[in-house]
Amino acid sequence: MPQRRLQELIQALRGAGLRISPAEATEAMQAAALIGYRHRDRLESALAVTLVKRQQDQLAFAETFARFFSLSAAHADDADNTASPGEADQASMPAPAAKRDDPALLAQSPQQLQQQMAEAAAQMDFTAMEVITQQGLFTRRLLMSMGMGAVDERILQLDQGDGRDQAHAGQLRQWRQQVRAQAAALVRRQFQLHGAGKGRALREQTMREVPFRQLREFRDTRALVRKMARRLASLHQRRMRRSRRGLLDARRTLVASVRNDGVPARLFWRQRPRRKSRVMVICDVSSSVREPARFLLQFLYAMTDVLPRVRSFAFASRLEEITDDFADYRPEVAVGRILDRVSGSGTDYGSMFETFWQRCEKQLDSNTTVIVLGDARNNYLPDGAETLAQIRRRVKQVWWLNPEAPSRWNSGDAVMDRYLPHCRVARQCGSLNDLERVVDALLAGLDR
Amino acid sequence: MKTRIESVEDITASFARQGYICSERIALAVYLAAQLHKPVLVEGPPGVGKTELAKAAAAFLEAPLIRLQCYEGLDESRALYEWKYGKQLLYTQLLRDKLGGLLADTDDLESSMARLGDLGEAFYSDTFLEPRPLLHALRSEEPAVLLIDEIDKADQEFEAFLLELLSDFQISIPELGTVRARHQPLVVLTSNDQRELSDALKRRCLHLYIPYPDAALENRIVSERVPGLDARLSEQLVGFIQHLREQDMKKLPAISETLDWARALVLLHADSLEQEQVADTLNLVLKHEQDVTLARDLLPRWLRQQRSR
Repeated sequence: MPQRRLQELIQALRGAGLRISPAEATEAMQAAALIGYRHRDRLESALAVTLVKRQQDQLAFAETFARFFSLSAAHADDADNTASPGEADQASMPAPAAKRDDPALLAQSPQQLQQQMAEAAAQMDFTAMEVITQQGLFTRRLLMSMGMGAVDERILQLDQGDGRDQAHAGQLRQWRQQVRAQAAALVRRQFQLHGAGKGRALREQTMREVPFRQLREFRDTRALVRKMARRLASLHQRRMRRSRRGLLDARRTLVASVRNDGVPARLFWRQRPRRKSRVMVICDVSSSVREPARFLLQFLYAMTDVLPRVRSFAFASRLEEITDDFADYRPEVAVGRILDRVSGSGTDYGSMFETFWQRCEKQLDSNTTVIVLGDARNNYLPDGAETLAQIRRRVKQVWWLNPEAPSRWNSGDAVMDRYLPHCRVARQCGSLNDLERVVDALLAGLDR
Repeated sequence: MKTRIESVEDITASFARQGYICSERIALAVYLAAQLHKPVLVEGPPGVGKTELAKAAAAFLEAPLIRLQCYEGLDESRALYEWKYGKQLLYTQLLRDKLGGLLADTDDLESSMARLGDLGEAFYSDTFLEPRPLLHALRSEEPAVLLIDEIDKADQEFEAFLLELLSDFQISIPELGTVRARHQPLVVLTSNDQRELSDALKRRCLHLYIPYPDAALENRIVSERVPGLDARLSEQLVGFIQHLREQDMKKLPAISETLDWARALVLLHADSLEQEQVADTLNLVLKHEQDVTLARDLLPRWLRQQRSR
């Protein structure tokens, strides 16, 4: 019995976002078998030691564990019967309401009812629940497998009868209502355990794919952005280390070989010096592009570990440096402040490049990458492509991220065609998935 | 090494006798590691007793402790084994004449090569093998406790190299083949979270996070390790340290620093934190000038709060 409970717990933990491999699950079972189920705290510790490998998962584990065994306090003295969410609250079950000819279910005592509901629940697979609206369906299935169908029929039958029968039908309805409430509560607990996590995964999937404009409607995008950034950052940290070994250090190798009569038994390697890349980001924050800009900036500043030297600029009708906002505030706060300050309409890319050139000419060198995020909608003003060409000649590379699909890059007042020849990379960047790919490619090509 | 561990309480008691006061989760992790033959990865802020844990475990198990300190650039030749190149060269020099004699009766190149080939094995044998900590642990006559300290400081490649050791307790040496552990060692890895460790490594280990202790536990630790300290002062000191840990400091004070401070106060015959000289010893607890200044301001305010309570 405990084995199955543990498996359910592990399922629930996976739903809550922990990554648990089958091998780890086996270990957890071994550990639990060693420790026994008598001490709840000790069991929790043992499971935490075997299953929780990242400190940030600790809270999720503690919560899930507590919820999973939430009813065990009521059964503390009954060690074999560790209660789980599969059990309903006995005290709230209705008293028997059976009269002559009523189905057997109605004659059950509250204990028996509770028992029966638990047995019925044990037969069902709650792990299949994915979204919150499935709760009604599962409640109904649970009641049916308890034999509620007979009660339903009995009520209908009584409704046809005389006044006394109808009064009894009313009683039965009340009884049914109480049992149904218990079943619904049980299903809700199960959903919190199993379904909520899956729902989260589903939502995350959606959040990654929808266009930035619609992303506003989701909550906790911030957490997702941070998670994606952290993953990328740790990926690229590794790559950086490996590629730093350079040429053979002949001097040190020779000096060391003297000890061994001139045999170079140990080789020494030079480390290639790091050339620090600088990234300059220019974000269009006019109303049509502000959402992508918000996420690009959050993303870049969540990765300061691997990208320490980012300077950022925002422009709508004029260009403004926003690097300091990020130094003073957390990324999500900074982005909000900037958007309040710099927003507006009437983008003029030509004069923007001009201002950028005047302000930053000195810092542009062969280690600099310039990233422009914008839709290239220039309000039929001069495009200033020559200035971009000038910038391109100075720096290592220019990247252009456009939130629109390539088919619309030249529609209306958009003049992507004029800028494309000067960009090493031009990509669509319309969703978090796009953004992740872009930043990944960017990091792979940079010396840090 | 002790082969049978009676219970978790057994470990807690033995640790306590050694002066290592720990929470139940720590003892439990050691118990599981020994019973399931799994390495333990210990994480936590600096100075909470991660390395001490390995020492205490070694003492409890009556096993030798083999320690490998990790650092950036650590490679196999420092961690596992190295050939004694110098000795090999020296031997060939000294044996040059002998070799000449040995090869004298061979008449062509091929037969001398064949004879040398037979001898060659001798140069890659145990005589010329310099075992480093990992190999020591595998070949130890009795089961040992292997402490791999600050694994986060080593490179990613070294971490990958450890995987074979951690899951199968064996390691491959090209010249000698696979070396299996004579007795499975109890492996303790520690990390200060300088970088994220790989999932592959974490999957193979039990995971133990040691946080800063709560007031009650820290009080017990202090009274155990610093016997001369007045009980009331100890409480006050721990209370203040706990208060400091809630502040925005550059480096938070760890247990080891609490102990240093407690010892200093015993030497100064202090009986309360209110004395003048106490503020001057704050640099034992805090290692940044900014932090010390902050704590100096905090101390009187905190004392006033405590009194009014």
